[in-house]
Amino acid sequence: MKSLPIQGRTLALVVVLFPLLALFIYVALRSGPLAPVPVTVARVKTEAITPALFGIGTVEAQYTYKIGPTSAGRLKRLDVEVGDLVRAGQVLGEMDPIDLDDRIRAQDAAGKRAEAQLSEAKARQAYAQIQARRYEQLLTARSTSEEIVATKKHELEVAVAGLQAAAEELVRVHSEGKALLAQRSNLKIVAPSDGLVTLRHVDPGTTVVAGQAVVELVDPANLWINVRFDQIHAGGLTVNLPAQIVLRSQAGEVRGGRVLRVEPYADAVTEETLAKVEFNQLPEPLPPVGELAEITVALPPLPPAPVIANAAIRRVDGKLGVWHVMNGDLRFTPVALGLADLDGSVQVREGLKVGDQYVVYSAKALTADIRIDVVDRIPGVTP
Amino acid sequence: MISLAGRDIMHAWGKFVFTGVGLGLLIGVTLSMAGIYRGMVDDAKALLDNSGADLWVVQQDTLGPYAESSSIYDDTWRSLRGMPGVASAANVTYLTMQVRQGERDVRTMVTGVTPGAAGTSGWPPYLVAGRQITRGHYEAVADIASGFKLGDTLQIRRNYYTVVGLTRRMVSSSGDPMVFIPLKDAQEAQFLKDNDAIHQQRRRTAENPAFNRPQVPGLLDAVIASQSINPYVNAVLVQIESGHNSEVVAESIRRWKRLTVYTRNQMEEILVGKLIATSARQIAMFLVILSIVSSAIVAFIIYTLTLGKIREIAVLKLIGTKNRTIIALIMQQSVALGLIGFVVGKITATLLMAPIFPKYVLLEPLDSVIGFGAVVVICILSSIIAIRAALKVDPAEAIGG
Amino acid sequence: MGYKGIHIESLKKRYGSGDTAVEALKNVDMQVAPGEVVGLIGPSGSGKSTLLKSLGAVIEPTAGRMILGDEVIYDDGWKVKDLRALRRDKIGFVFQAPYLIPFLDVTDNVALLPMLAGVSNSEARKRAVKLLKALDVEHRAKAMPSQLSGGEQQRVAIARGLINRPPVILADEPTAPLDSERALAVIRILNDMARQYETAIIIVTHDEKIIPTFKRIYHIRDGVTYEEVGEGRNFT
Repeated sequence: MKSLPIQGRTLALVVVLFPLLALFIYVALRSGPLAPVPVTVARVKTEAITPALFGIGTVEAQYTYKIGPTSAGRLKRLDVEVGDLVRAGQVLGEMDPIDLDDRIRAQDAAGKRAEAQLSEAKARQAYAQIQARRYEQLLTARSTSEEIVATKKHELEVAVAGLQAAAEELVRVHSEGKALLAQRSNLKIVAPSDGLVTLRHVDPGTTVVAGQAVVELVDPANLWINVRFDQIHAGGLTVNLPAQIVLRSQAGEVRGGRVLRVEPYADAVTEETLAKVEFNQLPEPLPPVGELAEITVALPPLPPAPVIANAAIRRVDGKLGVWHVMNGDLRFTPVALGLADLDGSVQVREGLKVGDQYVVYSAKALTADIRIDVVDRIPGVTP
Repeated sequence: MISLAGRDIMHAWGKFVFTGVGLGLLIGVTLSMAGIYRGMVDDAKALLDNSGADLWVVQQDTLGPYAESSSIYDDTWRSLRGMPGVASAANVTYLTMQVRQGERDVRTMVTGVTPGAAGTSGWPPYLVAGRQITRGHYEAVADIASGFKLGDTLQIRRNYYTVVGLTRRMVSSSGDPMVFIPLKDAQEAQFLKDNDAIHQQRRRTAENPAFNRPQVPGLLDAVIASQSINPYVNAVLVQIESGHNSEVVAESIRRWKRLTVYTRNQMEEILVGKLIATSARQIAMFLVILSIVSSAIVAFIIYTLTLGKIREIAVLKLIGTKNRTIIALIMQQSVALGLIGFVVGKITATLLMAPIFPKYVLLEPLDSVIGFGAVVVICILSSIIAIRAALKVDPAEAIGG
Repeated sequence: MGYKGIHIESLKKRYGSGDTAVEALKNVDMQVAPGEVVGLIGPSGSGKSTLLKSLGAVIEPTAGRMILGDEVIYDDGWKVKDLRALRRDKIGFVFQAPYLIPFLDVTDNVALLPMLAGVSNSEARKRAVKLLKALDVEHRAKAMPSQLSGGEQQRVAIARGLINRPPVILADEPTAPLDSERALAVIRILNDMARQYETAIIIVTHDEKIIPTFKRIYHIRDGVTYEEVGEGRNFT
C-alpha cells in the first residue's frame, strides 16, 4: 500500500503519455505527405453506350416578314397590335397620302376635260368631213374653185389629227389617274401571309424611310430551334435524328423533336456547328421567339465495347491514360479512347482489357510510387 | 545516476503535462501558421499543376491570368497551335465570383475550360466523385471545399449549372475553391452583367443617335449584337511537344505573336514571389512573434518552476551537488516541457487545427522536424534565465539566518 | 596533523570594509573531538550563523584557521579548491527545517548524494536503507517527504547528513520544530551516530530542552566563543 502513490502516478502517466505518443506517431505517419492516398477503383466493363450531342439553341420562326412602305413617308395609322393574328391580304395600316388624294381628284378633272376635248375634236372632225364632201360635190358641179376644195380637205385632215390627239390625251390622263390610284393603294400596309404580329416598330405619325420595317410578322405554325453544337461535340449530327428539347421556361419538361437541317455553314468564329431542330408537336401556348432551349440529340446506340468512367482519365507526361491497379501497385497505362456518352462513360479502344482494375477517383494527383488506400468513397464526399 | 529532472516531473506530472499541453496549443498554432504558409505556396502550385500547362500565353505586358487580369481573343489559340513545338493550346478563363446555390453563396474561382474531354489543359486533372463535364453547356465540376454536392444546381450569373463532378485541392492562389464550367458559358458569365445592366446598356445605345439612325435600318441591332458578345479569354494554356524546350517555344511565341508568355518556373515565381509575398511576410512575422511568445512562456514557466525549488536548490548546493547537475535539472525540465508541447502541438495542429482552418494547411514533415529543433533550441535558451537564477542561489541560504 | 574532528583557531570574519565594517566573528576557538557532540549557543546576532556558514564552507572567513578531520581547509584563505566537494564529502548538514527534496521519496532523498557522486543507484539505496533502519524510519522508506511527520522528516534529514559518513556534522536548530520528546530522540540519535561513526557534531541551538544534554557547550557572544562544561545529562 505504501508504494501505491508511485504506481498510481506511473499508471496515470501511462494512461496519458502513451496514447499521446501513439497519437503522435499516428499523426506523423498517417497524415500529410507520407499518408497513403485514398482512391476508389473500378473494373473495365463491357457496355453498350448511347452517345448523344448536347447543344443550346433559341426558338426562332422559320419565316419572318418585315413589312414596311416602299417609299419614304409618314405612317398614318396602324391597326394591329403585337400578338394579333392576321390573314394574308389583311390591311394592317396605312401611310399618310398627304396630297395624293387631291392629285387624284385633279387627275379626275383632267380626265373629264380630256373627254370634253375629245368630243370637241370629234365635232370638229365631223363638220370638217361634211364640209369637205360638199365642196367636192360643188367642184364636180363646177360651182366652186379647186383651191377652196383643197382648203376644205386640209381642214378635214387637221380635224382628224386633232381627234387623234384628244383620244391619246384621254388615254394618258386615264393612265395617270390609275397610277395615282395604284400609288394610293400602295400606301396600305398589307399582310403578305397569315401570321402573328411580333413587333410593331413605329407608331402613327412617325416618318419612315423606304424599306424600314413597320411591323414584323412570323408564321407561328413554323417555329424551329436554331441550335449550336460545339464542333468538338458535333460528330455524327445528321438530319432526322431524334432530339429532346427542354425550354428554359419549362425546365424538366422534355419535348420531342427531330433534326430538320444541319447548316452547311458552320460558325467559324464561335467554332460551332449550326442545325435546325423542329418540334414534333408545337407546344401550346407557343414559346416566345428567342427563348433559350437545350437540345440533346441522341445518336444511334453503339454495339457493346469496353467502357471506363471519364473521371478516370488523366494526362501524365502529355499522354492520356488511366492509373491501372495491378496487385495493389499503380501503373500509368496510356489508352486510346473511343466515343463517349453524356453520362460519363467512355469507350476504350486500346490499353485496357475488360476486367482490368483502374483508379476512378483519388484524393490527390497520383504518381507511380505513391501508396494507395482503396476506399469505397473518397473521404469528405457526402453521398 | 539519478535523473533529478525526471523525478521532479514525475512528482508534479499533472501540472507539468497541463503546462505542456498549454504550450502545445501555442506550438500547434505556430505549426499551423507555418502550415498556412506552406498551404498558400501549395495552393499556388496546385493551381499551376491543375492547369496542366507548360506555358501560359497572356495579354502583352501583363502578369496574367492569376496575378493580373489579362484578356486575349479567343481565336488566338489557333495561331498558337500552329507554332512549332506546341502540342496543344487551350483557352481558359478565370473569374473569381460568388456562386449561388440555393440560399447561400460561395466565393469561388469560376474556370472556363475549353471544350474537349478529360485530360485537356485546364480541366480538373482528377476527381473525387461524379464525372467530368460531357455537355458543352450548363454542367459544372466543383471543388469539394466549396461545399457543393453532386446534383446541386448552381447559379452563375443568370444561368443554372448542375454539379456533375467533385474535385479536391483545386483552388485559386488565394484558396478559393474552383468551379469548372464550359468555356462558352464562362465567357458569357464574365461578360454578362445582370439583366438590369444589360437593359440599361441597350437603352443607352438605342438613345444614342449615332447608333440609332433611321436612314440605316438594322444598325442598332448590329451595334447591340456586337456589344453582346465576348470574344475574349484570359489565357491560352499551351502544352509543349516532348523534345522541345519550353523556353525556346515561349521565346518564339513572344517574338512572333507579340504576346507575353510565362513558363512554369516564371509562373511559380509570379504566384509565390509576387501574389502571396505580402501574406508570406505576414505569416513570417507571426512565426517570429509566436516563437518569441513561446520562448517567453517557456522561460517564464521554467523560471517559476525554478523559483519554486530555490530552497531545494540551495540545499542541493549546500550538500555539495555540482552546478552541472543543477543545470541539467533545469534544462532537462525545459526540454521535456518542450517535447510534451511539441507532441501536443503536432497532434492538435494535425487533427484539430488544420481541418477547421478555412484555408488549406499543409503540414510538411520537414517543417515539423525544423519545428522540433526550434522548440528544443528555444527551450534550452529559455532555461538560461532560470539557470542563472539557480546558479546565483547562495548555498548559505539553506542555513538559516 | 594529528587533529581529528573539528579544530578552529582565531577565526575572524568581517563583513564590509572601512567605517561600515562589522566584525561578526572576532575570535573563535573551538575543538570538537570525533564522536563528540557539542552545543553552540548564542543570542541572535552573536555570530553563530556566520560561524556555521564559515564551517560549512559557504562563506569565506577573514582570517584564522579551520581544520576538518585531518585536512586544513582554511588557513587565512581556503586551502581546498572544490568547496562543494568538501561539503559533499566532509560535512553533513542538518537544518532547522528538514529541507528534503519534495520530488524524491525518502530513500532517494537520503541516497541522493552518493547517486550524484556516481555510486550505483542500488548501492546508494542500500546504504540509505541501512541508515534509515538505524534511524528507525525504514518503514517510511518509500514515502514522499510531504507524507512524513516533522520528527520523521528530521530523522530523514539526519540520515541524509550522515550518508557520506562525514567526519563533521553541522546541525542548525535541528529540534526547533519538535516537541521535547521528539527533540530528545533526535539528540539521542545524533549522539548515537557520533559514537558509531566517530563523527564530530556541532549543534547550534537555543532549545532549553536539549541544552542540558551537552557535555560541552560553546557560548558565542559578539563574535567571541567561551567554552563551558555542560550538564551532560543522560536521556531518560
